[in-house]
Amino acid sequence: MEDRKIKYYPPTWAVNWLLWFCHADFAEDILGDLQEEYQFHVPATSKRLADFWFVRQVAGMMRPSLMKPFLPFLKLNNKLDMIKNYIKIGLRNLTKYKVSTAINLLGLSTGMAAFILIALFVKDELSYDRNHEHADEIFRITIKNFSGDGETLSRHWAFASAGHGPRIKEDFPQVTHATRFFPWAFPDVVYEDKRLPGEQVVFADPDVFDIFTFPFLQGNKESAFANETSMVISEDVAVRIFGNDWREQDIVGKSVKIEARGAGLSLQITGVMENMPRQQHFHFDYLAPFAIYENFVNNPDAMSNVTGNYNYLTYVRLSDGASSAEVEAGGSAFFDKHIADIRGVKAHNYYGLVLQPLKDIHLTSNISGEIENNGSMSQVIIFSVIGVLLIVVACINYMNLATSRYTRRMKEIGVRKSIGASRGSLISQFITESVMLTVISFPLAVGLAAVALPFVNDFMDKQLSINFLQDFQLFLSVFGLLALVALLAGIYPAVYLSGLDTIRSLKGESTFKTGKVNFRTVLVTFQYVVTIAIIFSLTVLNAQMSYIFNSDPGFDKESVLDVPLSNEIFEKKEAFRNELLSNTEIEKASFVSRIPTGALLDSQGASIFLGDTITPINFRLPCIMVDENFLDTYSIELAAGQDFERYMDSDSVGYYIVNEIAARSLGFLTAEDAIDKRMTYAGVDGKIIGVVKDFHFESLHSEIGPMIMLKNDNYYRRISLKINPVNIKETLSFIETTWAKFDQKNTINYNFVDESFENQYQGEERLSTMFKAFAVLAVLIGCLGMLGMVTFIVERKTKEIGIRKVLGAKSPHIIWLVSQNFIWLISVAALVALPLGYYFMSGWLDTFAYQVTISPVLFVVPILAVVLITLLTILYRTIKAVYINPVKYLRSE
Amino acid sequence: MNNYQLGEFEEIVLLTVAILNDDAYGVNIKQEIEMRMKRKVSTGAMQTALRRMEAKGYLASEFGEATAVRGGKRKRYFKITPYGVKALEHYKETRMSLWDAIPGTVLDLKICGR
Repeated sequence: MEDRKIKYYPPTWAVNWLLWFCHADFAEDILGDLQEEYQFHVPATSKRLADFWFVRQVAGMMRPSLMKPFLPFLKLNNKLDMIKNYIKIGLRNLTKYKVSTAINLLGLSTGMAAFILIALFVKDELSYDRNHEHADEIFRITIKNFSGDGETLSRHWAFASAGHGPRIKEDFPQVTHATRFFPWAFPDVVYEDKRLPGEQVVFADPDVFDIFTFPFLQGNKESAFANETSMVISEDVAVRIFGNDWREQDIVGKSVKIEARGAGLSLQITGVMENMPRQQHFHFDYLAPFAIYENFVNNPDAMSNVTGNYNYLTYVRLSDGASSAEVEAGGSAFFDKHIADIRGVKAHNYYGLVLQPLKDIHLTSNISGEIENNGSMSQVIIFSVIGVLLIVVACINYMNLATSRYTRRMKEIGVRKSIGASRGSLISQFITESVMLTVISFPLAVGLAAVALPFVNDFMDKQLSINFLQDFQLFLSVFGLLALVALLAGIYPAVYLSGLDTIRSLKGESTFKTGKVNFRTVLVTFQYVVTIAIIFSLTVLNAQMSYIFNSDPGFDKESVLDVPLSNEIFEKKEAFRNELLSNTEIEKASFVSRIPTGALLDSQGASIFLGDTITPINFRLPCIMVDENFLDTYSIELAAGQDFERYMDSDSVGYYIVNEIAARSLGFLTAEDAIDKRMTYAGVDGKIIGVVKDFHFESLHSEIGPMIMLKNDNYYRRISLKINPVNIKETLSFIETTWAKFDQKNTINYNFVDESFENQYQGEERLSTMFKAFAVLAVLIGCLGMLGMVTFIVERKTKEIGIRKVLGAKSPHIIWLVSQNFIWLISVAALVALPLGYYFMSGWLDTFAYQVTISPVLFVVPILAVVLITLLTILYRTIKAVYINPVKYLRSE
Repeated sequence: MNNYQLGEFEEIVLLTVAILNDDAYGVNIKQEIEMRMKRKVSTGAMQTALRRMEAKGYLASEFGEATAVRGGKRKRYFKITPYGVKALEHYKETRMSLWDAIPGTVLDLKICGR
């Protein structure tokens, strides 16, 4: 104690400060040195100056090499060394267990590749029509037609009438701009000796450039529609007409001829706009002032018409902050103002105004006459869900495999722990390994996605591309995904394995608890849930698709050919038909306005006489025009009454054939009751002569509704031919030559009704194929994970199996022993997955009016499939364990 | 064998430890350097150099006695290791070989310039 006494004491706080930061190994002697020097300093100077000196010295000791390693960055060096070690060990392990590494890489990279593809698709779908500066204020005007009660929807068109655009702009203060688009049917575009046949020239109002943002490469939007001979073309067209060096030529002001059916028109190019981006719901290459068309039609009434003649895509821009609901609400007044009462009923009971936000059109609008095929929100949602599921399944898969792989490394973990590895360092070791694997699998994933992309593009009719330089956002999100996957995949094995008992793991004993619900069990169950749900959805999807294709639509669609008539043929249609029928291979021929598998026409005003009272019909009763051979050609059966006769033409007297639903809706109890009842349709008085059995005119998405058939020779647009399926090739060439005989100007164009029948479900087909591809992927990845899990369990139980065998257990018993765990998991998973799957799939089925019933078989199939896959995996892994001499692994201690 | 890495200050500290032989501890080393080199020495820099050279194996250290002036804190005596000696020899040799390589005229000129 005597020793501790010193003459002069340096400031205590400075001493404490030194002791606080200085490394414990150095603190004692450094403090001693300083205090020793301090003793000289005090007498040599003053207490105050010596204190100041002391503090300065202490401050000077604050150097990393003398300090405690309490700041993280001071430990970095050490950390880096450890990470080097982790990477080294990790690489060794990756190369040592080649199969499991391959499985892991495969699972992670395919999962990520699929996710990338889906992300590209979803991003593309969500980016439609976003390029316009005023996108939020732009709406499409669409018109709803009602059956006279203001409620029952008769038809909803994507197009409006010619008068809607200008009149709405006039009537509604909120509407600042309006434009119509009227595509002129495919004239030839001629420049000097160059001829581009069949182009789509679109007439638009001058407001078009204030509504949409179409960037100009040459010319500008102010002078675009300077006069009535202006035309704006796209870059694409500029290249096609003027060649790749069009920029060097002064093409603004050049004159181009538009020719159609003899009529010619000379227009000046006033501007070149950028090609319309792919992500836009319409694409036009030529824009010309609407006034040209107005002059051409020369009928002001037709150009301001607001009823029917829906041929004009109409868009409006609202003033900033105006609500589209206000405009829609004003629709009733608008129609009542412009349209006189219809049969004593206010016009708003027949028409309704709908404003569709521009940004929503691509994904949510799917009404009659969409200009291009639109996407669908549900598809986007379904794919997003699958994409996320795929990534999650791939991660779980990695976790399972990693955990089982690490059981082989129990000893390593034990050694590391006993040397002093903290739990944290073990966790960072495992995370490092999973990061390594993710980093390796990422380029693989991008490669896979790049390889698969052309197929996806082809199939989905898209032009997606992977371009990281262009798509910085995508790059960032993929990078985030990478980090997330690495963390997700690594965190569980890391946390779990680092928490194992040191001594037991050193002894090589597995310390995994059996028979208890741990996180791992939850993971495996989740994977089963996903797998079962996906297989279930697949079976339901398949069942519904085959139900549709095999269901009886109520008419004969096999070997019926549909040929649209040209004007030339229409003039001589009887002769044309007779000529065709002269060939015995052509069995029946019928003129129709529309064919089954198409959409029905508008509903027209109708009323029925019940007894002596006239009752207006208040439901949708659309019609088609057919001739007397129609029912025969399509083998549609009559429920009562008779078919049309040749003389019946509904020009002055109406002869009507309705379907059973129509008869019932009209108030008749049986089909027979309806026969010979007086009714008026579209203002023509007549009677019902026949009732046909219900058949699917429209797709199975919608329910069979009431419909009416009239015979009216002036409205036929196509001919349906029932042909002998044996010599189709000869018959087709005969039809072609016959066509050529009657019409030299137009070429024939035909399709088979059964094909168009299937085409109605193209969207579903596409969806189901894509869904199948991704689902199979998810199931495969899941199976890989299961393989890992089974391997793990079997390895864990080798000793137990050995002992049981020594004691006389039979092989089936042992296989059962391993399997029973899984059977439990599958049962639990099925209980969760099936109701979930049922919920989602019945939602999808609801989009069909005619649905397959989800039979118990559909529930059993996925369970059986999963059980089978599991059992096979177990068998594959267990048989090895079962047939090896038990001594071999009992000895391994 | 060019693996020795010594800074100028480190070399001085190492030499001083060698000079002090069995009596090299913090205060002594500092005073010795200040005396011989006629320059101020920062304790922090010196301590850092000592610890770093110990980590590199040029120096070894052990605790010695505690004295009253030190407030009961023990001294840490530093001792040069054979490896440290080798390092010093290496530096000396390389310096000498550099000196030897200077053409005689350069030095002569310098003398003339005086």
